[in-house]
Amino acid sequence: MKITVTGASGLLGSSVARTLVASGHAVTTLQRRPSGVDGARDVLGTVTDPNAVAEAVAGADAVIHLAAKVSLTGDPSEFAGVNIGGTRTLISAAQAAGVTRFVHISSPSVAHTGESIVGDGAGPASPDHARGEYARTKAAGERLALAADAEDFRVLVLRPHLMWGPGDAQLTERVIDRARAGRMPVLGSGAALVDTLFVDNAVEAIVAALTAVDVTHGEALVVTNGQPRPIGELMSQIAIAGGATEPRLRIPVAPALVAGSLVERVWDLSDHDDEPPLTRFLAEQLSTAHWFDQRRTQEVLDWTPRVSIEEGLDLLAAHCAQVGAVEHEDAARA
Amino acid sequence: MNHPGRPALLPPTLPEWDPVWSRIVDVDTGDGEHAFHVLDTLEALRAEGIEPTGTILALHGNPTWSYLWRRLAAATVDSALSGGRAWRLIAPDQLDMGFSERLTHDGLPTPHGPEVRRISQRIADFDAVVTTLLAEAAGSSAADVAVAGPQHPVQAGPQHPVVTIGHDWGGVLSLGWAARNTDRVAAAISLNTAVHQPEDAPIPAPLRATLAGPMLPTATVVTDGFLRVTLRLGELSPEVRAAFRAPYESASLRHGIGGFVADIPVDERHPSHAELQRIGADIAAFDRPALLVWGPKDPVFLERYLRDLRGRLPQADVHRFELGSHLVSEDYDVPGLVLDWLAAQFPTASETTPAPEATPDTASTPRPVTAILDARADDETIASVDFSQEPAQQISWRQLWHVTTSIAHGLRDLDVRPGDRVSLLVPPGNNLTAALYACLKIGAVAVVADAGLGPRGMTRAVTSADPQWIIGELPGLGLARAFGWPGRRISVSPLGPLQRRLFRTETSLTELARTPHTGALPTPTGADDAAILFTSGSTGPAKGVRYTHADIAALAAVLTRVFDVREGTGLVAGFPPFALLGPAIGATSVTPDMSVTKPKTLTAAAIAEAIIAGDATMVFASPAAYRNVAATAGDLNAEQRAACAQVELVLSAGAPVPLDLMDAIAEVFPAAAIHSPYGMTEGLLLTDIDREGVAAAAAGGDLGVCVGTPIDGVELALAPIDDAGNSADELLTGTAARGRLGEFVVSAAHLKSGYDNLWRTSAQAARDGLGGRTWHRTNDIGHIDDVGRVWLEGRLQHVVTTPRGPVGPGGLEALIDTDPEVSRSAVVGVGPEGTQALVAVLDAEGTPLSPGLAPLDLSARLRARVAEVDGQDLAAVLVAPTFPTDIRHNSKIDRSRLAAWADRVLTGDGVPRRV
Repeated sequence: MKITVTGASGLLGSSVARTLVASGHAVTTLQRRPSGVDGARDVLGTVTDPNAVAEAVAGADAVIHLAAKVSLTGDPSEFAGVNIGGTRTLISAAQAAGVTRFVHISSPSVAHTGESIVGDGAGPASPDHARGEYARTKAAGERLALAADAEDFRVLVLRPHLMWGPGDAQLTERVIDRARAGRMPVLGSGAALVDTLFVDNAVEAIVAALTAVDVTHGEALVVTNGQPRPIGELMSQIAIAGGATEPRLRIPVAPALVAGSLVERVWDLSDHDDEPPLTRFLAEQLSTAHWFDQRRTQEVLDWTPRVSIEEGLDLLAAHCAQVGAVEHEDAARA
Repeated sequence: MNHPGRPALLPPTLPEWDPVWSRIVDVDTGDGEHAFHVLDTLEALRAEGIEPTGTILALHGNPTWSYLWRRLAAATVDSALSGGRAWRLIAPDQLDMGFSERLTHDGLPTPHGPEVRRISQRIADFDAVVTTLLAEAAGSSAADVAVAGPQHPVQAGPQHPVVTIGHDWGGVLSLGWAARNTDRVAAAISLNTAVHQPEDAPIPAPLRATLAGPMLPTATVVTDGFLRVTLRLGELSPEVRAAFRAPYESASLRHGIGGFVADIPVDERHPSHAELQRIGADIAAFDRPALLVWGPKDPVFLERYLRDLRGRLPQADVHRFELGSHLVSEDYDVPGLVLDWLAAQFPTASETTPAPEATPDTASTPRPVTAILDARADDETIASVDFSQEPAQQISWRQLWHVTTSIAHGLRDLDVRPGDRVSLLVPPGNNLTAALYACLKIGAVAVVADAGLGPRGMTRAVTSADPQWIIGELPGLGLARAFGWPGRRISVSPLGPLQRRLFRTETSLTELARTPHTGALPTPTGADDAAILFTSGSTGPAKGVRYTHADIAALAAVLTRVFDVREGTGLVAGFPPFALLGPAIGATSVTPDMSVTKPKTLTAAAIAEAIIAGDATMVFASPAAYRNVAATAGDLNAEQRAACAQVELVLSAGAPVPLDLMDAIAEVFPAAAIHSPYGMTEGLLLTDIDREGVAAAAAGGDLGVCVGTPIDGVELALAPIDDAGNSADELLTGTAARGRLGEFVVSAAHLKSGYDNLWRTSAQAARDGLGGRTWHRTNDIGHIDDVGRVWLEGRLQHVVTTPRGPVGPGGLEALIDTDPEVSRSAVVGVGPEGTQALVAVLDAEGTPLSPGLAPLDLSARLRARVAEVDGQDLAAVLVAPTFPTDIRHNSKIDRSRLAAWADRVLTGDGVPRRV
């Protein structure tokens, strides 16, 4: 199959592209920087650029749309441009190019109103209720994708939830870095039950969606490891896998929510290329339950997570030990 | 105040209400034509192409309307659609009530005034409406018309049964109508209602205030006070409460509410008094099947009205929703109960199960429970030794026979009749034995609510059993007085005049024991009730369990057959239910010196003295008692040790016995076989395991608590549990039942005969008919291993339904409890059915663990164990500050409460200090 993957410079996108190449598919990638995926054809550009998009999807049978602006804070227009405009541009181009399968990567936050989620299904994306610019624009983007679903343009939406694992800079490395610096807080009791997704499982779920979309389409599915864990516990385990000690710093929930809002505002005013240490959205994510019913997901994708959280933690620890050893050698050489 | 009339209306859009049910019916009620709003499901059924094959006539009370029957309407239509009998529901709103016509009134209603529609007229109204509507469905069945003639086209009978149901004053009115129309009515049902008897007792207090002259119109019509108060007698959502209020929003619409209250015949001068008495008499003559559905927390329709109705309708089945109030059908599944009961009374061709060819249960009838006692009337050997008395009291068989026979005559002379219930509030010992066997001799039913239920639980239990008599020691009589239990009182020892008055006792066992043996005593048959025992109430209010004489005789026979307890055997009885069976078997029973409610007070010396006194070779007690016996064994002297060494059988009942305790018991009783049978109030002896069995089971890798194999005479089956946590209707037996999670279902002659005043619970527990036998659904879950041993894993309602399949919590708990850091655990589920997250909750007590998330390493270790052994994913390990358990055993963990606690913690609500 000829498959176009957008956003293949990130961990998930490049891993998906690499897996598809290894399975013998003809893979084209679209992102600003080279994907670094051997055997893939890189088209450099953004999803907001119609020419680059048209070039990337030309002749493709299927599109996997991972490109997004994911920062938890930032300029609202930039979110909308990539997550809504980019998606619209990509869909139009894909339809014009005769693509028949479209796997859209979304986020569970598109249906998250701040209330706890306890074993719920995916629920409809709601730009009006989603929290934060990222979630709002991703919600609108997902609705565009589902609205385009048709017999000759089959759309399946996957919402991976809190992905982590070796190489993940978004969550995993930040948790480890902060824990090493003694700045990783546990919010409240740390007992809120949260679903996460080990990166290898995310890759395999997306690959499975390429087949599944032919049978089931026009639907959104949350993808997780199906192993909810108390958030404080998993964060601690990730930190420990990364060589840090167990975080002891505890922050009550209510002050954290206020602090998150404040930090967001202050962060917006200044010029940072890093993420703020705490956002209100993140504070909510880390203090209320959100775990999902995975029965429909596993049925539709005909997939089950191969790597358990415990195995994932071992893989992460091994990875961190290796990276640490390399860093240590580098430092010694210097 | 002038109240203008108003025509009948169709209700607005209301929750749970289907507009297709609503119709306006004009009928001549004898005082002219009136318009009724009627809930009628005929349209709804015909829209589905279904023609009714039965009709339910429902009548609401005051101040409700046919909205009360909406769930019954929906349930009957659903049931018809899924192939059950097609019951049509006809439920009129009474005149001046609901959305029916408002009559013109010149003034407010008063008890003797002209502005009240009297109950006699209301029965006529009901008759007019239902006669008109029943005729509509007649044309569909020519046979009906041919059989019944044109007068009453819909015939009561197997073809098209007509039944009534009512609530509140609608209950007594519909019962009265049914009783007067037995040519049409096949059965009658009533929810909380009353045939008030002014000579018996005053009107209940809440009504008295309303009825007090000038207050009446103010409380009922001018204000919505009566309406508001009544609608609080159930857990109604604001939307539903608003729907009940919808037809009564203004004073002029509430005239009927006041009229109804004004028509309650408070005394003999009331205009409706004579009619209500006639209705009461007519109801007493009604001989068709009847069902009484009761919410005992009703402040107006009190227990005494249920008692009165049961007196009038002795054939009635009863189902009490023990925590239900006046609006019982709002809070409990009354439609399900009604449909089940109707299906049992009027089975359709497909529902009729062929009668069993042989009934193995009654194939061999054991001897009557009092036969041996009677046969030993002249035997001077020891029957019973009671160490609970100071000094210990020893009585011979002759004395026991004599005293029980005397008391039996005394009770008979007091007018205790066969079937009367006698609550026994006497601790185990000679007094209890004497009272019990006296009751058994004359067919009085012993109600045994043990102190383990706590005062509240005991009150609920005794009240639900509704004894005519209480025989009690002072503590029991004190409880009975404090909590207002029913029944005439008899003390154990004679009381002084002051205490007699205080506790309202009429006589004492001591006095009764002097009654001369004159005249014949009634003789109960095996099918007659002998005793009501109570479940421990760990999963809701304690349930009364009915044992017949044949059941108890069969239980005694089991002890003989399985454990070789026979005539002449000496046994130390430290476990209540078995302590009472000695005289039935002819065994010499010794009550050791201990407090029954505190089994830990049994010492090794006490048990040894009991063994010596009864020359006993058998000891029955609970694990908690044995734990203390083992702990105090060092205090035994040489003679006592020798006595313990002569014991051949040690039986431990009430809870499973771990191997270490088995070993400790073996040290005290070196020659004894140690057995731990498993059972429950509904079936006291089901399986058995001995010390070697426990050791062998521990060596295997199965999860749960092994309780051995079924004893001789017990058939065991398994109802597999599905992904939603429900047990299947189909039973598996033999090898097909092995290696899978299911509910245990048992059959034996010595099982209970039913639950008391819980018609539906009895029917559901005994719903299986495999092999023509009577079965009991135990509600206990677990699995049967590949050599046929039974492993318990918890209760059916505690099954955790994970996406990986259903989990019996007890199995994983047994696994988790082996961890050195864990004292005890409960495995629960949080989240929606079928996709629950599996959670282990640990007890903080006796450990250094603090409430909240368990330490990382402990969580990781337990999670790895669970994944390895059972393939399940343990989402979280929590530490709870306390563990809620039942009062009786302090061992049955309330997993439901722990689950609710865990749910809050894992939602991110913090860690509540109270579980």
